[in-house]
Amino acid sequence: MIRFLGSRLLRAAITIIMVVTFAFIVLRLSGDPAQIIMGADAPPEAVDAFRTAWGLDQPVLLQYFHYFGAILQGDLGRSMRDGRDAIVLVAERIPATLALTIPALIIKLGLGIPAGITAALHRNSFIDRAVMLLAVAGFTVPSFVLGLLLVLVFAVQLGWLPSGGQESWRHAILPIITMGVGGAAVLARFTRSAMLEVLGQPYIRTASAKGVPWRAVVWGHALPNAAIPTVTIVGFMVGSLIAGAVVVESVFSWPGVGRLLVVAVANRDLAVVQCILLLVAATMVTANLVVDLLYGLLDPRLRNQPKRATGAA
Amino acid sequence: MSDITAPAVLSTAPPRKARPLPPPMVLFGLVWLASMLAVALLADVISPYAYTALDLRNRLSPPIGMGGSWLHPLGTDELGRDVMARLIYSIRMSLLIAFGATIIGAVIGTTLGFLAAHFRGFVEQVVLALVDFSASLPFLILALSVLAFFGNSMVLFICLLGLHAWERYARIARGLAISANGQGYAAAVRQLGASPWRIYGRHVLPNIASTLIVSMTLAFPEIILLESGLSFLGLGVQPPETSLGSMVGYGREYLTRAPWILLAPAFTIILTTLSVSLIGDWLRDRMDPTLR
Repeated sequence: MIRFLGSRLLRAAITIIMVVTFAFIVLRLSGDPAQIIMGADAPPEAVDAFRTAWGLDQPVLLQYFHYFGAILQGDLGRSMRDGRDAIVLVAERIPATLALTIPALIIKLGLGIPAGITAALHRNSFIDRAVMLLAVAGFTVPSFVLGLLLVLVFAVQLGWLPSGGQESWRHAILPIITMGVGGAAVLARFTRSAMLEVLGQPYIRTASAKGVPWRAVVWGHALPNAAIPTVTIVGFMVGSLIAGAVVVESVFSWPGVGRLLVVAVANRDLAVVQCILLLVAATMVTANLVVDLLYGLLDPRLRNQPKRATGAA
Repeated sequence: MSDITAPAVLSTAPPRKARPLPPPMVLFGLVWLASMLAVALLADVISPYAYTALDLRNRLSPPIGMGGSWLHPLGTDELGRDVMARLIYSIRMSLLIAFGATIIGAVIGTTLGFLAAHFRGFVEQVVLALVDFSASLPFLILALSVLAFFGNSMVLFICLLGLHAWERYARIARGLAISANGQGYAAAVRQLGASPWRIYGRHVLPNIASTLIVSMTLAFPEIILLESGLSFLGLGVQPPETSLGSMVGYGREYLTRAPWILLAPAFTIILTTLSVSLIGDWLRDRMDPTLR
C-alpha cells in the first residue's frame, strides 16, 4: 500500500512540475509582456524600468529557476494590472466559483448516476431510450448555448429569474442548472455503459443462477463493480470544476475564477493566468490521486500491483 | 487445374448479407451533415449577400415568422448584416476549422503513437509522459492560455485545436501498433525487408484505421464545441471573420431585442454536433471490434 501511494504521489509531482514548466514556457516566451502592458508608444525608458521591475531582463533560464523557487515558497507573482498578489486575487474568487460548482456537481451525481443505472437495468426499454436521447442532447448542447437559451426563456420571456450577476441566491440558479445538466448527461451515458458491461459478466449470471435475488445481485455485485469506471469520470469532473466554470461564469457575469481567467487572458496578465493554471492543475492532480486511492479501496486486486493500474481509458 | 485457384476458394465464403439501413436518427444525422457540407462548399453561390454587407435601412429586421420579409429570411443584426449570409459563412468557417483540427490531431497523435510503439524505451516514456500531461489539464484551460499569450491567428487557432484529443489517438495507435507488431503480418513484411515507413503506413495503419476513424468522429463534435466556446468568449475566430460561436457571442448582446441573431447559429451548432455524435456512436457500434 505504501508503494502504491508512493508511485501515485511521484506521478502527481511530475505532472505538477510539467505544468509549471509548460506555464513558464508558453507564458514567458510568447511575447514581450512589457511592451504589451505599457503599450506600443510607451517611452523606452519606461519599458526598460518595467522589465527590470518584473525580472524580465534576466536570462530565460534564470527566470525559470527564480520562478520555480518562488512557487515553492508560495509566491506566485503579482497581477501586472493592479499590482496585487495574484494568489490573493484568485483566492478571492474561489468561493464564488465553488458556490456554483458544488451544487452543480451534486446535480450531476444525483441525476446522472441513477439515470444511467436505471437505463442499464431496463435496457432497450422506453426509459433507456429516453435517458440516452436526453444524454446525447445534454452532451451536444454547448454550455453557453444552453445558458443563453435558459436566460431567454426564464429571464427574458418569463421574467422569473435574473439573467446575470451575483446579488442573491436566485442569481445562482440558472448557472448551476446550466453546469449540472451537461455533466449529468455525460455521467448517465458513462454509468449506463459501465453497468451494461458488468451486467454481461459471468459472475452476474452465476449469482442469479444460484438464486440470489435480483435486487441483491444489483446491489451486491453489479454496482460495486460498475463503480470503478464511474469513479474515474467523477474524479475527472471534480478535477475540471474550474475549467467547466469558465464559459458558464462568462455567460452569467458571475465573478468567479473562470471569469477572472477570461479577463486575465484578454489582458495578458501573466501572473494571474499562471496562478489559475496551477490551481487547475493542482485540483486535477489531487482529484486523480484520490481516484487512484479509491481504486485501491474498491478493487483489492489493484492494491499490490506495482505497475500502472489501467492502460486503457 | 483452374478450378482450384483463388476464385473457387473465394466462392466458399458466405455471401455478404445486405446491410440494413441505418436507424432514422442516424439517417437524419447523415442528411444534416451532408447539407452542412454542401452549404460550406457552396457558400459563395448560395449566400444571398456578402457576410459583411450592411443594409442600414433594415437593421435588426426580424426573420420570417416573426414579422420579417423575404428580403432577409433569417433577419438582420444591429448593423443590418443578413443573418442567413453570416450563418452560411459561419458554417463554412466552423467546419473548416473542425476538419482541419481533427485531421491535425489524428496525424500528430497517430505518428507519436507509432513512434512510441516502434522505438519503445525512452521515446515511449517521453510520449507517455506527454500523454499524461495532456490528460492532466482540461484542454480549454490550455487553449485559453496559449491563445491569449501567443496572440491570435487563424493558423495558430486551428493548430491549437488540432492538439485536442491527440493523446487519445496516440494511446490507441501505440497500443494497437504494439499488438500488430506481435502479429504475423507485420513480422512477415519486416522479414521481407520493408522499411518502418512502409510497415506502419501500408500495413499497420490500414489495419487499425477503423478504430482511429471512430475516435475522429468522437473528437469532431468536441472540436466544434471548443471552437464555438472559445469564439463565444471572444478568444477564437476574430472579426470580421465569423464562426458559429462568435455569432452566438455577438447575438448575446441582443438577446432581448433580437434573439434570432443568436438562435440561428445556436441551433446549427446543436444539430451539427448531435448529428456527428449519432453517426459516431453508430459507427462505433458497427466497427469497433472490442465492442462486439
